Amino acid sequence: MHNTRFLTQEFEYFVPHTLSEALDLLFTYQDKRTKILAGGTDLLVKMKTLGIGVDYLININEISEIKNVELDKGLKIGAAVKLSQLEKMKAVKEEYPALYEGITSMAAIAIRNMATLVGNICNASPAGDTIPPLVVYGAKLRIVSKKGERVIPLEDFISGVGETILKRDELVSQVIIPEPYKDLGSAFCKKGRVKADIAKINLAVGIERDGDICRDCRIVLGSVFSKTLRAYKSEEILRGKVIKDDLIISAAKRAAEEIKPIDDVRSTAEYRNELARVMVEDTLHIAWERAGGKRW
Amino acid sequence: MSQLKIIGKPISRDDAWAKAKGELKYADDFSLPGMLYGKVLHSKYPAAKIISINTEKAKQFSGVRAVLTAGDVPHNETVTRFGQSSEVGKGFEGLYRVLADKKVRFMGEAIALLAADTEEIAEEAINLIEVEYEPLPGVFDPVEAMQPGAYLVGEVDSNIIAQFGCAQGDIERGFKEADIIIEDTYKVPFVDHAYLETESGIAWIDENSVINIRVGSQVIEHFRDVADVLGLPHNRVRYRGTMMGGGFGGKEDITVETYLALLTWKTKKPVRLVYSREESILCHSKRHPFIMHYKVGAKKDGKLVALEAELISDAGAYPYLSPWVNLYATVNAAGPYCIPHIKVNTYCVLTNNTFTSANRGFGAPQPNMAYESIMDELAHQLSINPLEIRRINCLTTGKALSTTGQTFKTYVALPEVAEKAWEALGNPTRIKDKYKKVGQGLAIGLMSYGRMTFLHDSSRCYVRLESDGSILIRSGIPDLGGGQVSILCQIVAEELGVPMSKINIYYSDTALTPLAGTTTATRQTYMSGNAALKAAREIKKRLIYKAAQMMNVHTDNLDIGEEKIIVKYKPSQYLPLIEAIKACNADGIELFCEAQFNGPFTMTPDLSNIRGMIFPDFTFGAQAVEIAVDIETGEVEVLKLVTCYDVGKAINPLSVEGQMEGGSIYGLGYALMEEVIIKDGVTLTPSFSEYIIPTSADVPEAKAILVESGGGLGPYGAKGIGEPACSIIAPAILNAIYNAVGVRIKSLPATPEKIIRTLKGQFN
Ligand SMILES: Cc1cc2nc3c(=O)[nH]c(=O)nc-3n(C[C@H](O)[C@H](O)[C@H](O)COP(=O)(O)OP(=O)(O)OC[C@H]3O[C@@H](n4cnc5c(N)ncnc54)[C@H](O)[C@@H]3O)c2cc1C
Repeated sequence: MHNTRFLTQEFEYFVPHTLSEALDLLFTYQDKRTKILAGGTDLLVKMKTLGIGVDYLININEISEIKNVELDKGLKIGAAVKLSQLEKMKAVKEEYPALYEGITSMAAIAIRNMATLVGNICNASPAGDTIPPLVVYGAKLRIVSKKGERVIPLEDFISGVGETILKRDELVSQVIIPEPYKDLGSAFCKKGRVKADIAKINLAVGIERDGDICRDCRIVLGSVFSKTLRAYKSEEILRGKVIKDDLIISAAKRAAEEIKPIDDVRSTAEYRNELARVMVEDTLHIAWERAGGKRW
Repeated sequence: MSQLKIIGKPISRDDAWAKAKGELKYADDFSLPGMLYGKVLHSKYPAAKIISINTEKAKQFSGVRAVLTAGDVPHNETVTRFGQSSEVGKGFEGLYRVLADKKVRFMGEAIALLAADTEEIAEEAINLIEVEYEPLPGVFDPVEAMQPGAYLVGEVDSNIIAQFGCAQGDIERGFKEADIIIEDTYKVPFVDHAYLETESGIAWIDENSVINIRVGSQVIEHFRDVADVLGLPHNRVRYRGTMMGGGFGGKEDITVETYLALLTWKTKKPVRLVYSREESILCHSKRHPFIMHYKVGAKKDGKLVALEAELISDAGAYPYLSPWVNLYATVNAAGPYCIPHIKVNTYCVLTNNTFTSANRGFGAPQPNMAYESIMDELAHQLSINPLEIRRINCLTTGKALSTTGQTFKTYVALPEVAEKAWEALGNPTRIKDKYKKVGQGLAIGLMSYGRMTFLHDSSRCYVRLESDGSILIRSGIPDLGGGQVSILCQIVAEELGVPMSKINIYYSDTALTPLAGTTTATRQTYMSGNAALKAAREIKKRLIYKAAQMMNVHTDNLDIGEEKIIVKYKPSQYLPLIEAIKACNADGIELFCEAQFNGPFTMTPDLSNIRGMIFPDFTFGAQAVEIAVDIETGEVEVLKLVTCYDVGKAINPLSVEGQMEGGSIYGLGYALMEEVIIKDGVTLTPSFSEYIIPTSADVPEAKAILVESGGGLGPYGAKGIGEPACSIIAPAILNAIYNAVGVRIKSLPATPEKIIRTLKGQFN
């Protein structure tokens, strides 16, 4: 039986002050069990409960290059930025409401004071609450190593439960969120067992409006598959069409057919199928209204 | 009686401030020089033979000071007790085994104990103990476990460890007379106490060779049981209870005390042991799941004529307090209703699940969920409104409880509490959302306060008036957070006319404070309150006697208040309290008193047909709720929650409201989300990530209506409220769900998954 009261393992602990120091450490210890520590709200829990063994722990919270948010044609969020800092920003709340709603739905403030956005992404949980909104906004990740850097879409980053395409000497330094389309309406929705809970299902949608028409859209669901899932066929129903109530209803039905949920301790597959339809329908309505679209 | 000055006032408690500020010291907030850290090795299997245990590697590990297994425990097997002073017979006594011996009966059972220099060493070394198991099939379903030939959990020839019955009238005739008969089966799950403070404590041996145990316990009288395990005289073990971070019945059995005592006795060093949350959920007791088959018959006008109930409960792997809990369930099985023909049978069955024992409500909430659901169904089928059906059938003053025939001479606040709760709910809220359906539900119930009368319960309290007019109280009373300690101070302050700030109390120490009995059974206000009252009144009598001489006024004309002894008919004439104290001291009049209060004593009843007085008295209450069900998602939102109880007299209305609100929320979790899921003996909800309880964000505005009939057996007519407060809300919520969407959920918790499934099933 594990003990969540304290950490028993021995490991080397580093607190680099520059990115290059951190990358040097990652490079040096890439063949060892090396882990990056951001807020630790996932990592430390796993070290206690799943017995994940760590030889080298690199705390990135003192690296000044990754501690800020740049507000220039979109958002660039450093890897050490805390969730509670983001939820207090006007730009996040107003320009990226689905992200704001995703963040504030998470845990309680004490956790959000520690946790980071990048940590939520790199943890690669199918239930991660910021991932669907970030996919909706077309977020990209800046990935750096001693050898160089690459920028890849978030959608291509997560490969499975807890798995990413990150190489052992790399870290994510920044989340880059492009400026939203002027008539984008977006919204997030989550159902848990209690108010502050890991999702039974979470989802975010974004609709780009051109008059009565949906110019483009994204419907992204979490906790319904081994990773965040885009309901492409459902999006197809809306894309390029004049938005009407029945269209939204059929898109929601389609989305519910696209997901592949499982039974777990939080809910059942049967229920999730039912719930997904309702949630997608409701959230599409909200997003369409936020895009300035008419309601019938 | 003269006007009360402190009783009935909303006093903010000292402990509340200390808790809010984080200053209060709980059992594990304590260290001693040279202290070791204890750790328990728990079984990996729910049912297995222990082939061998090898502790060599663990013993050799640097920093390990002791490793103990069953063979090292002087008396590894004793009997579960909970502080009773009368002989109650074998029917209630279960095997208490400190460490597993030859066989494990549930996953999480303690197999070995270890003490080491640091917590880290203990954690690492515990895994070095090698246990060779031979897994056994086990049995995990109580109904299966009842069958002949079932796997035997224990060492006796049946898994049924207790059976109770109640009967009155002629059940067959009753059903023949009925115009309508309803029959159904209801189920309630395992739930956890989920206290903030897990099981923890520290033990050491003092300069008198006494083993001291600092622990949060509801039953400090367990010092005797710990001494028995060690083979020591009872006066060589001392409990020093602390304020608890919640008990809810989970600290009514021995938790970690025996382990602490054994480790400190073996190492001769102080030892601390703190359960992790996972250990608390996996290894300590749970609330009993019940399968309850009910059949009721009524006349067309709604009058009940017959009730038959069969209750089967899962005791888990060891008896602990299961027989008692099942006795409570049996007595509560027909609720607060007058029914001429009754038959109740209860079976309590061992399985290889985590053991079950006391949990706030102690067998009352389970049958309440069943009988209040079926009453609601009856009302529905007869088109009678939910309040009316209860008015027609409920107990009233002078009537007898249907199960046992115990009559109530004191005021029975039915249907008053039901009327008040239902009325306070008001008209149904209108909601625009077409997918949200609003429903209202009502449930009533009763629950005893004070222990079973055949336990011959008593409590003691010591009060001393100091020469400067301050007061010292000593009482063994444990405080779970319900304000038990503060209540005694209020009573003494009232009686001796001294402000609360001048009172100091020592509590929960088995060596130095007079034993006050357990903080269980909602008994402390009643029992220890009366003991404190008795002691304070004795001192008051002596003061007034002396003052009468000094003032030349008859004792009948004197009263105490505001640190004065006052002439009743002329309040401007008084003697300062301090003068009376001085005079008493000079005359050798004792200004201290230790008093004992005894509850009513009865004989052990015939368990196959329980009749007569089993409990001193009951608290009656009602709960009314309004909820909205989302018919697309099955989510239930509680919109209004009204709780109404006759509390007799609210000694501290703040604490009473706290109990009523907290109790409702405790029950709300039971109704809507809480379940310890145990599959084939394996707990699938071992932490608060899986085991979900309501948080402050999930709690609706709760309204508490206090009826103060003054009819209780406690001081100033008080009744008990702690457990009754959580026992009724679950069926109120289920009934509201039925009212909203027409589906009756018959097993707790009423999750969205179940509601949607039932809704869909109904339309197909
Ligand atoms: C009580 C509680 C409630 C929670 N509730 C929710 C919830 O409602 N919704 C939800 O989505 N999550 C929830 N979580 C999970 C967690 O808080 C979030 O996933 C959080 O965003 C993780 O961020 P962190 O900074 O703490 O990550 P960490 O734990 O520090 O790291 C997580 C993982 O990412 C890796 N990592 C971190 N930073 C980098 C980087 N820059 N580059 C590469 N790898 C990196 C780490 O090595 C680790 O493997 C909860 C956790 C707790 C303890």
